[in-house]
Amino acid sequence: MKRYDLIIVGAGPSGLSAAIEAAKKGLDVVVFDENEKPGGQLFKQIHKFFGSKEHRAKVRGFVIGQQLLDEADEAGVKVVLNATVIGLYQDKEVVVRIGEEICHYKADAVVIATGAAENMVTFPGWTLPGVIGAGAAQTMMNLHGVKPGKRILMLGSGNVGLVVSFQLLQSGCEVVALVDAAPRVGGYGVHAAKVARTGVLFYLSHTIVSAEGDECVTGVTIAEIDDKFNFIPGTEKHFDVDTICLAVGLSPMSQLLKMAGAKMEDNPKRGGQVPICDEYGRTSIPGVFVAGDVSGIEEASSAMIEGRMAGIVAAEYLGYIDDKVMETELAGLDKALDGLRQGMFAPKNRGKSIEKTEEGIDISQNLLKKGFVGDDEIERFPGVTHRKGIHPVIECTQNIPCNPCQDVCGKKCISIGDNITSLPIAVTDSECVNCGMCVASCSGQAIFLVDEDCGDGSATVTLPYEFLPLPAEGTKGIALGRNGQEVCEATVVSVKSLKAFDKTNLLTMRVPKEYAMKARFFRVKTEEAAV
Amino acid sequence: MNSVNDRSRDIGPFVPGADDDMLICRCEEITKGEIRQAVHDGMWTITEIRRYLRAGMGLCQGQTCSRLVKGIVARELGVSPAELEPATSRVPMRPIEMHVFANEAREVDQHES
Repeated sequence: MKRYDLIIVGAGPSGLSAAIEAAKKGLDVVVFDENEKPGGQLFKQIHKFFGSKEHRAKVRGFVIGQQLLDEADEAGVKVVLNATVIGLYQDKEVVVRIGEEICHYKADAVVIATGAAENMVTFPGWTLPGVIGAGAAQTMMNLHGVKPGKRILMLGSGNVGLVVSFQLLQSGCEVVALVDAAPRVGGYGVHAAKVARTGVLFYLSHTIVSAEGDECVTGVTIAEIDDKFNFIPGTEKHFDVDTICLAVGLSPMSQLLKMAGAKMEDNPKRGGQVPICDEYGRTSIPGVFVAGDVSGIEEASSAMIEGRMAGIVAAEYLGYIDDKVMETELAGLDKALDGLRQGMFAPKNRGKSIEKTEEGIDISQNLLKKGFVGDDEIERFPGVTHRKGIHPVIECTQNIPCNPCQDVCGKKCISIGDNITSLPIAVTDSECVNCGMCVASCSGQAIFLVDEDCGDGSATVTLPYEFLPLPAEGTKGIALGRNGQEVCEATVVSVKSLKAFDKTNLLTMRVPKEYAMKARFFRVKTEEAAV
Repeated sequence: MNSVNDRSRDIGPFVPGADDDMLICRCEEITKGEIRQAVHDGMWTITEIRRYLRAGMGLCQGQTCSRLVKGIVARELGVSPAELEPATSRVPMRPIEMHVFANEAREVDQHES
């Protein structure tokens, strides 16, 4: 039987990170993954990640995936694909299906990084073709280049539902509604806002009554629910759709651990059945470690840090490093992980209703209920200021762990400070040179460059624009407000696509000056758009 | 034995529901009504439900429905889903053809790049 120092199950962000860390310390490491491509969910993530530099913030997920693969390769990690681990036995015997054969391996340590599976909800018609998981929609679009449908309803306003809705819009689908049974948007406000400003309507405290269709989905009815989850009669709304996307949470795929005899618990806060483990992924079985979503649902950035932690404790367990080296390295990672677990959406705040920011500012209720900050609410946030000439308007209104905007501005126009979750402040006595880096670097697409008065009665608004085709200079269209409703006519002044912007195009539009603080998206006039 | 499995507890009669014909386990085509009825037939654990109905025993191995089944059983018993013991995890973790399952590789090294 072939032996390895460390066998890792799952080549996603956490598994690869564990492999890199362990291989760098001299362990002989193999990673098995049942998919034909490595990277787990990373290669579907076309958006820029949040965090700070150490979390690879403002880098797109698929680029991070490639970076991890390169690092793994360099460290001498073996990644075996189309390799399904079907059993984890006593004494760390790992049984793998590879091709048409069953292979047996033995490890001195094992890291389980199997990730999670999508949850489903039931309603009449939920088994019709056309009802799909949001992750499935992402796989179709971003891995295979296939549009999941033409007209789509999204159920779920967590980050997955919001991010996938935006990607559906980018791929040319129409998202007719974003629906959630919860009374508040579950994901980052900035993700919601970039969807809402394109005109997608949010229906909170609503859920699906039924999907219609004989052979596939042809329509869907939603209705408002009361606090006991009963439909309120008379609130039904019908949409003609061909696809319903479900983004209603994830469940850890922890069966291998249960099979191996690890102590488990059912912990709703961590997403379901999870192994009982310490903060570095040590399970109840010596030498069996966990990392990533399998030990509790979070996101890719924290999964990568958890993976590195598991790789380090595995190296110490096998004697490749001593406990002092381990403690030092873990301390650094503790800090990085702690940074990500702060703010309004931190795991510790899950389920809590937060009314004020850390700065004591009232959170936008429109943002939580409709997906956009109201025109009457936006002025109270420190990123929104007024002055002569071009200046950044930072519509970042919730405490989330993210700070690339502060780092990219060479003129120090944006200040967050040392606390990564603080709201960005627009520094009024600095000189903005209209370089656009802040707009492009904001993973939440929440920064605009505004010249409120060009002197001729007009104003210019520069916004992040990640849609194709790019409108040409001089294109006339409609400016949409934060709520996605038409506010005024607009003309494209320029569209900049520098390499440093990393595919976030900067669209500058001219609008009448009274709309400088209202116009936040550009829509090509429909007769021109109808292609 | 925990209180969830105290079979002397009265869970009341089976009351038919409007959505009883809704499919829950798509692989084995088991409906919500069948699962609810099974609880009243005395199947109080996920293991029993699996053996009795085959819900969660099909191609996807419960990847889609296990959480749904658990929710239905828990509601019928009037307990929280977290209190129900999950189904046993066994080899093979993924469905696998018998001819593959029986085909032990002789030389493991040939698969590695």
